[in-house]
Amino acid sequence: MIISRRDLVKIGIAAGTALSIPSVLRAQQAPIAGKAIRMARYSFDTFDPMVSTATATGNHGLAIYDTLFALDSKLMPRPQMVGKWGVSDDKRTYTFELRDGLGWHDGTPVTAADCVASLRRWGQVAPGGGLILERAKDISAQDDKTFTISLKEPLGLLTEILASASTPVLFIMREKDAKLASTEQVTANIGSGPFKFNQDLAKPGASFTYDRNEKYVARQEQPDGFAGGKLANVERVIWDFIDDKQTAFAALQAGEIDFIELPAADLYPAFNSDPDLALQVLNKGGDVYFLRMNCLKKPFDNVKARQAMLHLIDQEAVMRTTFPAENISAITSFFGNHTPYASDENTGWYRKGGNPEKAKQLLNEAGYAGETIVILQHASWPEANTMEQFLADTLRKIGLNVELVLSDQAAFAARRKSRDWSIFMTSESDYDRSTPVSNPTLAANGEQGWWGWPKSDEYEALRAKWAEVETLDERRALAREMQRIQWDIAGTVLLGSAVSPIARRKTLVDLIEMPALIPMWNMRKVPA
Amino acid sequence: MAAYVLRRLVSAIAVMAMVGIFVFLFLRLAPGDPAGVIAGDKATPEMIAAIREQLGLDKPMPVQFVNWAVSILSGDFGNSLFSGRPVIELISQRLEPTASLAILTIIVSVTVGVSVGILAAWRTGGLIDRILTAFATLGYSVPVFVIGFFLIYVFAISTHWLPVQGYAPIGGGLGPWFLHLILPTLALSLGYMAFIARVTRASMLEVLSEDYIRTAAAKGASSYAMLFHHALKNAGVPILTVIGISFAYMISGVVITETVFNIPGIGRLVVAALNNRDYAIIQGVLIFVSGLYVLINLTVDLAYTLVDPRVRY
Repeated sequence: MIISRRDLVKIGIAAGTALSIPSVLRAQQAPIAGKAIRMARYSFDTFDPMVSTATATGNHGLAIYDTLFALDSKLMPRPQMVGKWGVSDDKRTYTFELRDGLGWHDGTPVTAADCVASLRRWGQVAPGGGLILERAKDISAQDDKTFTISLKEPLGLLTEILASASTPVLFIMREKDAKLASTEQVTANIGSGPFKFNQDLAKPGASFTYDRNEKYVARQEQPDGFAGGKLANVERVIWDFIDDKQTAFAALQAGEIDFIELPAADLYPAFNSDPDLALQVLNKGGDVYFLRMNCLKKPFDNVKARQAMLHLIDQEAVMRTTFPAENISAITSFFGNHTPYASDENTGWYRKGGNPEKAKQLLNEAGYAGETIVILQHASWPEANTMEQFLADTLRKIGLNVELVLSDQAAFAARRKSRDWSIFMTSESDYDRSTPVSNPTLAANGEQGWWGWPKSDEYEALRAKWAEVETLDERRALAREMQRIQWDIAGTVLLGSAVSPIARRKTLVDLIEMPALIPMWNMRKVPA
Repeated sequence: MAAYVLRRLVSAIAVMAMVGIFVFLFLRLAPGDPAGVIAGDKATPEMIAAIREQLGLDKPMPVQFVNWAVSILSGDFGNSLFSGRPVIELISQRLEPTASLAILTIIVSVTVGVSVGILAAWRTGGLIDRILTAFATLGYSVPVFVIGFFLIYVFAISTHWLPVQGYAPIGGGLGPWFLHLILPTLALSLGYMAFIARVTRASMLEVLSEDYIRTAAAKGASSYAMLFHHALKNAGVPILTVIGISFAYMISGVVITETVFNIPGIGRLVVAALNNRDYAIIQGVLIFVSGLYVLINLTVDLAYTLVDPRVRY
């Protein structure tokens, strides 16, 4: 058969048309013009917010699941899935009734049994949940919409714990999902929240798509922090995982995306100079950067060596390696700068610019004999990487023998588990430091606890009281006492506090300003 | 020929088995704990230990290897330790962007690289040769991310002619697919173009100095006939080898281009999996890529017979 040039053109046109047809058929893959928001977010691969404590997984949970209670903008707990609730006169039995209209994304109704199973699973992984399980005599469903928590003794903080925004958050899952072991991942991604996870468009490591849950019944109250009406104002939200921050910036400039979760600090001036873009701080309290020392290994098994680090650190210098001056502040309060528990108790160690001479003296008293100080250095967290280099240099200047161990995420996790290290650095939201019951970084329970393993029975006794006391003033008094002990045992050394803005196009408005997590409801797109 | 192909395919199985064993061993010997990454920063050692047990990472290494090998032999590449999704599904999601980028890049690189190489050899020592050699050196020396950001600035930010980043599946229409690939293809091609141009030039220069070329010229053959009928065919084997190597390298070596242009390809999948020690993904991708290498090598070897009749299998 001879194919003429004309035939070839016809075949080409037919092939082109055939290849274009799927774009019509597969319309669901294309962003819905004007009704979709594209966000450059932190990547995550673990879907289950009970299995992973990662903030990105928590944000995913916030999009698709709902919570029994939620924090308002003043960080006070408010009912969310719960309609009516009450506590018995002896303060030992809490009764919760779910509000009307709650349904799973698969079309089935949310029941009290779902809540009970979720609570039990959460209690196995979250310290606050563990406390509830420990105190509970019984947690059971009374009917389809009502469940009770009966306690052996009163627990004044119960609703605060249920509403906590520290990961892992108590997201309510279907009973069949919540009955999986707390270590076995739930990958169904069926929630009852304002957005549905689009499984067909999920590309782990590249992008995830969330569609508006058109059947979601929002509370009637105005949105207020994580509480109030969760109004999904857009049909679709797409999370793009853009590894390179320069590319993300260019994409925002070009209007290909609407939001960047963590823009590079060195690009702030470029964002500010573009009239279409805005930097906005959603987490007003900022993040607290701190380091942990290995209390089981020389030289930091000696409290004086740990105290030396408190005196040595020049917070402003450390933070300026990464953040602009206007975004940082010093922090001396163990319980955060912007929480109700901030205080100046026992903060005599703080001196602007640090105090290397005092640090040297304390190290001598600790008997430091040239042991290698192993600092775990993050390869895939550029901000921390810079601070860790600076920290190593600071330590070397006072004569310490320092080894920086550059590690990717998995190597970091393995090395930390091995206990063969001296110092690592991390950060958390200022808000997280107000929750000693829920946050393992605020414990001092030795080898049973979080990495670094500082131990103080006196502190732990006070921490146990935290859940007992009922008033804010009582907790403030406790916080002062606990802070006094913490700065004596020096299990944690604060490096400073920084606020990190998100970047957005000015057409994306009404983002909710809260610490820890970033909700997707309420926000909307307006014409340029 | 058929016997040769069969022999190569059998040896390919042995190669891939060796790749499997080495990949499995090296991954397990490298420090790293996927359970620690899954659990997140605030997890306690107990939580991490429980996740390790759940994933079977606490089992002895030989047991883990046998389980994996049995799965692979039955065609099951396993599931990602993190997302729980089948590795095959993840690879197939990422294959189209990488293959599109690699194929377009090789088309552009070969077309331009071979043409430039021939032209430089034909006018060796002249102005064109010097310009083309300078261009090739530049293309070979400038890192792909520099070229990438330069192209983004000029063609996406300043002029808005082309998209900054992302990938549009071919099923969504040829237009968006092509538009999204223009800048990454140009950025990635420059280095390969230069490489192919230099090899083509060197190979052509060697052939053009042969006696039979001089004889052809003496017999009055045109420049076109001399270059394309006589010289290029005989210079073809090293050029073909370079093209084969370039293509094979491209499949797994496009990670920087994929990162700069935010293309969800195989390269980024592997880098993320390595960072997390998602063993199932790394092992699956490496087995897949090694199979592809074997196939490309075989294709190149068979293509030799087309350009050089002396090659027989």
